[in-house]
Amino acid sequence: MKFMHLISVLALSGAVLNAQAETITVYSAGPKGLSKSLVKNFEKDSGIKVDLYQATGGKIMSRYQAEKSNPHVDVMISSSLGHAITLTKAGELLPYQSPNAKNVPDFLKSDTYVSQGAAVLAIAYNTQSTLPEPKLWSDLTKPEYKNQITMPDPSKSGSALTLVEGLTEKMGDDAWTLFSGLKQNDILIPGANKAALNPVLQGAKSVVFGAVDYIALGLKKKGETLNVIYPEDGTVLAPRPIMILKSTQHADASKRFVDYILSNKGQNMVSNTLILPARTDISTSRPGFDDLKLITFDQMTAAAHAQATKNKFASIMGQ
Amino acid sequence: MYSNARGSRLPLAFNLVSIFSLFLIIGLPVISVVLFAIFPSFNELSFARPFSNFIPQFSNPHLLTSTLNTLRLAFSVTLMSIMIAVILAYLRSRMHDHYGRIWDVLFLIPFLIPPYIASMAWIQMFQFNGFFYQWFDLNLSGFLFSFSGVVFVMTLHLFPLIYFAAVNAFKVVGNRYSDVAKIYGAGSVQIAFRILLPLIVPTLLSTGLIVFALTIEEFGTPDILGSRFGFSVLVTSIEEKLTDWPIDLPGASVLSLLLITIAISVYLIQIAISKRYTDSVDNQTMASKPLNHKGFMLVSHGIFFFVAVFTVVVPLFSILTSSMMQTMSRGLHWNNLSLEAYQTLFSLDDGALDAIYTSLTLALMTALITAVIGMLVAFTLIRLKPKGHKILDALSLLPNAMPAMVLSVGLILTWNQKFLPVTPYNTLFILLLAYTCLMLSYPIRMLTAAMKQLPASLDEAAAIYGADLLLIARRILFPLLIPISVAAGCIVFAISTRELVASLILAPAGTETVATYVFNQFDQGSVSSGMAMSFVVIVVSGMLIALGQLLAKRHAR
Repeated sequence: MKFMHLISVLALSGAVLNAQAETITVYSAGPKGLSKSLVKNFEKDSGIKVDLYQATGGKIMSRYQAEKSNPHVDVMISSSLGHAITLTKAGELLPYQSPNAKNVPDFLKSDTYVSQGAAVLAIAYNTQSTLPEPKLWSDLTKPEYKNQITMPDPSKSGSALTLVEGLTEKMGDDAWTLFSGLKQNDILIPGANKAALNPVLQGAKSVVFGAVDYIALGLKKKGETLNVIYPEDGTVLAPRPIMILKSTQHADASKRFVDYILSNKGQNMVSNTLILPARTDISTSRPGFDDLKLITFDQMTAAAHAQATKNKFASIMGQ
Repeated sequence: MYSNARGSRLPLAFNLVSIFSLFLIIGLPVISVVLFAIFPSFNELSFARPFSNFIPQFSNPHLLTSTLNTLRLAFSVTLMSIMIAVILAYLRSRMHDHYGRIWDVLFLIPFLIPPYIASMAWIQMFQFNGFFYQWFDLNLSGFLFSFSGVVFVMTLHLFPLIYFAAVNAFKVVGNRYSDVAKIYGAGSVQIAFRILLPLIVPTLLSTGLIVFALTIEEFGTPDILGSRFGFSVLVTSIEEKLTDWPIDLPGASVLSLLLITIAISVYLIQIAISKRYTDSVDNQTMASKPLNHKGFMLVSHGIFFFVAVFTVVVPLFSILTSSMMQTMSRGLHWNNLSLEAYQTLFSLDDGALDAIYTSLTLALMTALITAVIGMLVAFTLIRLKPKGHKILDALSLLPNAMPAMVLSVGLILTWNQKFLPVTPYNTLFILLLAYTCLMLSYPIRMLTAAMKQLPASLDEAAAIYGADLLLIARRILFPLLIPISVAAGCIVFAISTRELVASLILAPAGTETVATYVFNQFDQGSVSSGMAMSFVVIVVSGMLIALGQLLAKRHAR
């Protein structure tokens, strides 16, 4: 019986002619719970229907590129600012300033995108380790941390790249010396964010250099023996840009969705995922703008020579 | 041979249907990828700047290393798989069927375990501070994070493919040849090397080719293990172009051409080798008799048990414990165990049950469709031998050699066009199409190998009695091939239930499959939920497969 039901759903889903409600298509790079609750509540409050495709930042971009001849997506929420910069340069984004974005700091928005929130780059530390808790990024170059550090690969993780860019921007050559020091300590760079975190969770290593804080904070809340340390010499934000595509047939509905994410309700949902909400006036249970020492730098310029930064990092790490 | 009027039109119809369906399912997306490689703006339907992408892609210094690594890995995994599979299949052919069947079902399990999860399981076992370290004070991370470690994990995952085909081949070969040889005084080693091996070479070559193709296409294991010691293969380089900023689809397509070239070259080599060994059995033999030698049986079961520990028990243990650990960091302690992940899984608003349902339905449909098409194509290729049948054959291999991610892009390019009146894209049918495309080669390889072994004398005898082609196919060939299509269908089902990459990129909005659910959990959710989901699906699919085998056995009587 259920099988027949699926067949009919299969048949019906081919006919996407839904006359009653306007439908927008959203591609989102997670976290899944957040995208789902944003979409569900927006549908309830606005009467607009949302088709949600949920994958990783890279996958949603790949799908968008492959669909170019017949685009479907109206709004994209990515986990990497690089995507917003690329699409802005290509002229594929619809300029929009949401009235709700008044309290979003300038470095988290432009005329073509606005951040949903941001991940903060931090040190994640397994409290079962016998090592002292690091206070500064450079602490991890000390000999006692030898063989105990992991880091996400900047060529695979947008947030790790942002960290490398931010530190080199602020410290200049000292940053490269720092990375060489990490290499001397046999830092392990096993892939994207989760790959760097798992060995520390499982106790094979002790510290992550450049962990995405909201994931680590969430795990800590679940009872993992993790601490999230924001180094005193400052840290960087990895924005999560929301973009409306120029090819959209539903500009108004899309704008309403962006407004919704930036409304009090939407921002509270962001904050509940332990992501730093983009608006400075939203109170949050996690460390907020006032608690963090942020390194701000011109991300546009940094993006222009991102490839050179990645190559230099890789050559220091002997990749 | 088949000369009556009805028979002469039929082969033509069979040919056309086979060619058309393979072209539609596999040909179109592959052609799209090739066009995309040549025309970098093909995704916008523009044919500007042809070939402008080749030089920059091929001038990357890393490319040669990853290509050589790909070849080294594929040859090693294929050889190791053949070795293990042949030894086991030979032992299996001497066993009583009802014991043997238990091992057969067990060896389907490695397919049910997605390679990336198996890799995570082995990391949990072998890494510093992992289970082996805690239990036996063994730190095997040096082995696991090395070329041998990658070969080890991939071989454990892939050898069953060859094993199943080899078991069937031994069955067809039967015992009579060995009996004759024995009468003439041959020793068992001599029999093995001079009689049995040559007779199953075509099977080994054709399934070995699939293992080879699957190895060059496999992403999870080289990525998870290889990135720990700076080991990159072609697929990991391709995947980087598709996932890391800046996204480079045409570049990925160009590199996929390399994989296509490698696969086709190996296919041609395989044809050349199998030309030298065209030993087919020229009369239907009786099934082999089990050996009743107690000591030999004990040793065989011992060997099977040892292999099963590594392929089934250890990975499953690791998945089960990960799914039951409340926190990863507190390790395996009684007070850290909980069934919370399973409770979440079966709560209705989580979407997990829908995902399981979607995946199982799709997998079942894929298994049926591919088994039918496989039967049709095998029959066309082997019995009708149309002109250009090699092209058909090679075509069926390509989806195994191309990264699923690139093939998915090809499917989008093919089916997401404004001018198409109806399209499967953005519906569940695109996943069905993708799975069919990715899985077709298993039934085609397995059934063509089996069909090759069925003696032509069968057809001739029937033809003498006036049976036409259709009757011969229906009454003689297809019934004989039913066990193999069921085996192929089971493999397809197993792999479809956990297919990740195509599902991830092609899933219509709002749809989740098992693998995408697991992936999302691993990426930003809870590892224990992902592992719980994997475990449930492995158990459910395993039971369904066992049931299918049972029904097939009944039917075969």
